[in-house]
Amino acid sequence: MAKPIPKMGSRKNGRIGSRKHTRKIPKGVIHVQASFNNTIVTVTDVQGRVISWSSAGTCGFKGTRRGTPFAAQTAAGSAIRTVTDQGMQRAEVMIKGPGLGRDAALRAIRRSGILLNFIRDVTPMPHNGCRSPKKRRV
Amino acid sequence: MAMLHRALIPACPFPHPFPAARVRVIVSPMPVLRGKTTVVDSRIRCMANPRRVQMVAKQIRRELSHMLLTDKVLQYAVLPEASLGADRYLSSLTTITDVQVSADLQVVKVFVSVFGDERGKQVAIAGLKSKAKYVRTQLGKRVKLRLTPEIRFIEDDSFEKGSRVIAILDKIKNDESQDKEKVDSSAHEEEEDDDDDDWDGEDPDQGIIYVE
Repeated sequence: MAKPIPKMGSRKNGRIGSRKHTRKIPKGVIHVQASFNNTIVTVTDVQGRVISWSSAGTCGFKGTRRGTPFAAQTAAGSAIRTVTDQGMQRAEVMIKGPGLGRDAALRAIRRSGILLNFIRDVTPMPHNGCRSPKKRRV
Repeated sequence: MAMLHRALIPACPFPHPFPAARVRVIVSPMPVLRGKTTVVDSRIRCMANPRRVQMVAKQIRRELSHMLLTDKVLQYAVLPEASLGADRYLSSLTTITDVQVSADLQVVKVFVSVFGDERGKQVAIAGLKSKAKYVRTQLGKRVKLRLTPEIRFIEDDSFEKGSRVIAILDKIKNDESQDKEKVDSSAHEEEEDDDDDDWDGEDPDQGIIYVE
């Protein structure tokens, strides 16, 4: 989702990338991508511009422990801690993928005190498009 | 490493063309931690390799999660309002947390955790249990096993219990830190009221009972 950020002022003021994010956002969207081996939690604003993100891997878990629900919970907590300081009160949650992170991250978000508006499931579903990988044989 | 010869055991109920599914006949008295066939009361019981049991469990978990995400029948069973079109804004979220397969690959226990209020949970679990036969058929088509196992859905509330315990612990920690701040300065009473409002404000929205 690459919507251009409106440039404030001219280029004399320096590059946009070095601008500090001091905007206060009362409402945001939390994306949780929960695969079997990892969970990534991204907090964006309503239009989709990323504010902060965290994942089970960046929280210090490695290997098989990244897929556990406890890791998902710490990732969600870490992502939200950055954002509650900026004053976010309400959020919408978008969940993608199977995996234990779905449940655990949702419960962690609920516990942190942020009001959940909606819970949506946005797992990408092809209308019979690309050929999926072959079935594993057991 | 004795290969099973068909002439040796006349009444083995599991013919196996695949070389990977080797049924071992134990000749030596030493116990070997591998798949074995034991003759018990003139019946033959075949146990699979424990590593293979784990692989089958993982595969079943993948398939069941995929089915829960994509299959329309299962989604309508779990979340009845999806049939009316409200499938993008969910009231409850079902997740498969664990799959346990018995050693002979005949019984599969699927632990399901539901996020949502009490009614949503009951609806989801009842819907899944009513679709157990359908799930077994679908699983038989997707996972090629000799005998498709019987599927039992069990509700898993360990997530919720753990979440409540952590919430209580957090509350205690907050109270302790706020007591400390109170000792330091007395200008923090507003924060306590805000916290109480947050706790109370969530209950009518979500309907989950917090132990306060």
